[in-house]
Amino acid sequence: MFELTLQALFSGLLAGGYYATVAVGLALVFGTMRVINLAHGELVLLAAYVAYAAETTYGVNPVMAIPVALVIVGAASAIVYALLSRIHQDREINSLILTFGLGIILTNAILSIWKADIHSTSDPWFQDSMVVADTLFAMNAEVASFVGGLVLMAGVWWWLNHSWQGRAVRALSSNRAAATLMGVNPRRIEILSFLTAALLATFAGFAIYTGKTVFPALGHVLTVKAFIITVLAGMGSIPGVLVGAVMIGVIESLTVTYLSASLQELAGMVLFLVVLFVSPSGLFGGGRALAR
Amino acid sequence: MKRMLANLVTVSTLALSVALGAGAAQAKDFLLGSELPLTGSLARVGQGMHEGISVAVEMANRSYAGKHSFKVQTIDDETSPAKGVAAVEKLAGDGVVAITGGYGSNIIGPASEAAQKAGLVYITSGGVSPELTQRGYPTFFRINNTDGYALAMIGLLQDMGARKVSIVYLNKDATSSLAKQVNGALTAKGVTVGMHEFDGSTSDFKPLMNKVKLQDRPDAIAMVGYENDYVGILRAAKVLKPQVKAMVGVWSLATAQMAKEFPDLMETVYGTSMLPYPVEFTHPEAVEFAATYKKLFNKDPDYLGQFGYVQTRLLIDAVVRADEAGTLSKGGLPDELRKTDANTLIGRVTFDKNGDNLNFTHRMGQHQGGKVVLVWPQDAANGKMNFPAVPW
Repeated sequence: MFELTLQALFSGLLAGGYYATVAVGLALVFGTMRVINLAHGELVLLAAYVAYAAETTYGVNPVMAIPVALVIVGAASAIVYALLSRIHQDREINSLILTFGLGIILTNAILSIWKADIHSTSDPWFQDSMVVADTLFAMNAEVASFVGGLVLMAGVWWWLNHSWQGRAVRALSSNRAAATLMGVNPRRIEILSFLTAALLATFAGFAIYTGKTVFPALGHVLTVKAFIITVLAGMGSIPGVLVGAVMIGVIESLTVTYLSASLQELAGMVLFLVVLFVSPSGLFGGGRALAR
Repeated sequence: MKRMLANLVTVSTLALSVALGAGAAQAKDFLLGSELPLTGSLARVGQGMHEGISVAVEMANRSYAGKHSFKVQTIDDETSPAKGVAAVEKLAGDGVVAITGGYGSNIIGPASEAAQKAGLVYITSGGVSPELTQRGYPTFFRINNTDGYALAMIGLLQDMGARKVSIVYLNKDATSSLAKQVNGALTAKGVTVGMHEFDGSTSDFKPLMNKVKLQDRPDAIAMVGYENDYVGILRAAKVLKPQVKAMVGVWSLATAQMAKEFPDLMETVYGTSMLPYPVEFTHPEAVEFAATYKKLFNKDPDYLGQFGYVQTRLLIDAVVRADEAGTLSKGGLPDELRKTDANTLIGRVTFDKNGDNLNFTHRMGQHQGGKVVLVWPQDAANGKMNFPAVPW
């Protein structure tokens, strides 16, 4: 029983890291623009498919595909931003519709280019097992993605708190008019947020391609999961995303271990509803929460 | 004499013209309908079946050349039951003679109900849930079923001598039905069975596999799901290394695609398969099917294409027979399909009163060195079972 619990907690922690990597880009964009980018999951997926194309076409390690994926996902993200910035009325609802549509276009573009087959890296190192104390088991890809995701999130957190641009992002998130009066160029900062989200999406795509499987319909699933975690965290809170994602990962994993794997999604949703019931603005919410 | 000869020529020419004219009048263009998940989570299997349907139409146009021609109008149901119903209603409105396609019992159920209301035949191989045929719709036909898959899985596990089996299964209609049937049959034979249900959103199977490893300690693990699930389960098993002798699955597993995409994960894994890989065909129809498939899609056929082809070809032949009998426009197609008794690429097909093909029995293949070798039943095997063996 003890072994089962330990493995469940370990798997939940790693799953949480993976969820957080997917969700943090969404949270960042929401924090700066008050926009839920419903195409975020598809951007993550696009990065995964670029890694797949690089590996199968040129035989390069998926790690080497990250810079190429970053350029492509960054360009796609910039297009999303360019279209979003043209919305002047009812921005919150219209942006939802626009990004949802863009997500569908991206999914179908991926389907047309790469077909519907499932794919994952063929590099065996990523699938090899890592065993800790003869009790905790994981794939190399999961541990590498967890560590890499943590480093990336810490970097984003540091950037938000200690760099001029980061502080500008937070200022914009806190009070757009005041930030503009203080000399912050909102368009420049917003596109910077989108590009940072693209960086995070690229890494998440790499993590999925090496540790899971990718297929065209996955993007929507990722967006929904990222949205739930963003709301659970407190809209726009970066540390909250990590805590919320780990909570969801662990509760799902414990549910699989002690109840049934078919109830894991339900358990995550119950946790989500309980947190919102107790704290309607989320774990780290309460107004403009970016970087808290 | 000259006039007689001229008259004879004229009469013969007229007779020939009438005969040809009558023949031309009988030649008809038939429009078939197809609703399939070409996008969404079932896009991979939907597209596979679509390829088989296209091959059937191409081959039928060759065999009935000069007499009849066939076209298929396909609508993507986007892996959504509601859109499946809308697709069937649209196809009915467009005047199709019957519908071939459908994937996923939860989509086929309402879609075939809409076809029944429209008086259209709906033939499929994409949904094996018993409830589909238990409804008794006269217009519903299915060339495969849960029993055929269950028999193959049970037969293989029995031949292995497995005394403890863990069944890891997806909580959908078809997969749950199959898992429960296998559980019932194995339990009745004195095998200890552990049942583990999972949700389609599960991507990390390690906690579940750890339960199997530490609590069940089975001889074999039976997997009932789809490609994504198999990859997740096998990866978790490869990491946790449970002491089992075999990993056994059903559809979408012993395929060329899985051998190519996940070679290190698939080695020695079993799955249902009608064909070995590389494909070996000897029957002339099968050879033509493989050649047409290769010509249209530049790849070897897989089981999805094979099932899509068989259901569509049976439908086309029944449409022609009903047309020739003059019953097609009078709702005679279901009766004509029910008269089917054909040896096909998936074996003998006949339909009972509920439209089920009770002859259906599957075979089991095993991934061996990048190939899929048929290992069960003995009379269909083209190689030896590698047992006990696991991918790690």
